[in-house]
Amino acid sequence: MPTTTIDREPVPTAASPEPPDATLVLPPDVRLYVEPDDFERLCAANRDLRLEREADGALIAMTPASTVSGGRELTLAAQVWNWANATGLGRAFGPSAGFTLPDTAVRAPDVSWIRHERLDALPPGEGDRFARIVPDFVAELRSPSDRIEKLRAKMAAYIAHGVRLGWLIDPKAGTVEIYRPGREAETLTGPKELSGEDVLPGFTLDLTDIVN
Amino acid sequence: MATVTTRRGKAEADRPAGRDAAVSLLVPPDAGLRVDAEGFERLCAANRDLRLELKADGTLVVMSPASSDSGRRNALLTTRLTIWNEAARLGYSFDSSSGFTFPDGSVMAPDASWILAERWRGLSPEDGRGFARIVPDFVVELRSPSDTIAESREKMRVYLANGVRLGWLIDPMTRTVEIHRPGREVETLTRPGAIPGEDVLPGFTLDLSGILTDDA
Repeated sequence: MPTTTIDREPVPTAASPEPPDATLVLPPDVRLYVEPDDFERLCAANRDLRLEREADGALIAMTPASTVSGGRELTLAAQVWNWANATGLGRAFGPSAGFTLPDTAVRAPDVSWIRHERLDALPPGEGDRFARIVPDFVAELRSPSDRIEKLRAKMAAYIAHGVRLGWLIDPKAGTVEIYRPGREAETLTGPKELSGEDVLPGFTLDLTDIVN
Repeated sequence: MATVTTRRGKAEADRPAGRDAAVSLLVPPDAGLRVDAEGFERLCAANRDLRLELKADGTLVVMSPASSDSGRRNALLTTRLTIWNEAARLGYSFDSSSGFTFPDGSVMAPDASWILAERWRGLSPEDGRGFARIVPDFVVELRSPSDTIAESREKMRVYLANGVRLGWLIDPMTRTVEIHRPGREVETLTRPGAIPGEDVLPGFTLDLSGILTDDA
């Protein structure tokens, strides 16, 4: 019986297609490390994730916030934006804005604010990446899956790098920790509002729809 | 009545969104991610459908499942190696999902591999656990369209540097086979019909029909 052999011409080597991105399940207890340039590429490939990079290169990967947490974030950000817009002293940023700290960590606080004169001093194009600038003000909202110790360490690092006022808001516990340079963190239980102090002059945050 | 099972465990499904939840990360080629050995084992357990390797410097290599055609060629390769091995009874053959921990710290999973019986049996239970701390005597890499030739050759270099005694790089795209042996120049064969296992796989000859060429 005759046999048929099919032997197509070899495919040119140069035709090797770029392999597609693979989807990697990253359990919370696994630490991946990434260099700054690779971190930027990873962020570009994962627009729906919230990624941060620790100073030692460790990757922090977060899912989108829960519905309720996302609503609280916007309530907080909207008040900061309104104040920033009214005073014209600086610019407010939401949770997708990344900043490169002096220790090479890349952070994306839930809300942040920077004075205009500091933003204007950035080199051209710096703002199109994770700008090397430390916000004057940051706020983080704790979501149910966040470990409080990690958020406290994050706030302490912000202050160490030059943030002048930091709020760690825990909506479930109804507490707010206030971080200022050179001072112990102050914990408020059940506050109705927060003062922007001398960092956000004239700003008062209404916590009604943010804290339970 | 039929029951429906899902692969996600309850604990995983109930984990809240946010900063300490498992996430699905899209990993571009050459993403440059690094992980330690312990983290690598956890990643493998969480990603059964991916092929993961670890380079000696801790770089994670993430590969999508093989294309259907590469998988077909790989099945022929593993089958022919295993049929010989079952008759010869000289060692153990391994498929492409078998990972090995090398002396340089890398963890690699060749497309097919083989280990001499007394070496495999001589492994301590500790060294045999998980990605066994042993270097195969023989490995094969079957180049798929998404592999660059440089990547495949780099793998062969790592295999040989860690003690592999015979390595074949089979490239269906160029219809060539590179034969890698310790301390010798790489030998390249163009359109060979079969290749001998030499003194590493005594009596074995791999018929390349359907593997290097499309006929089977």
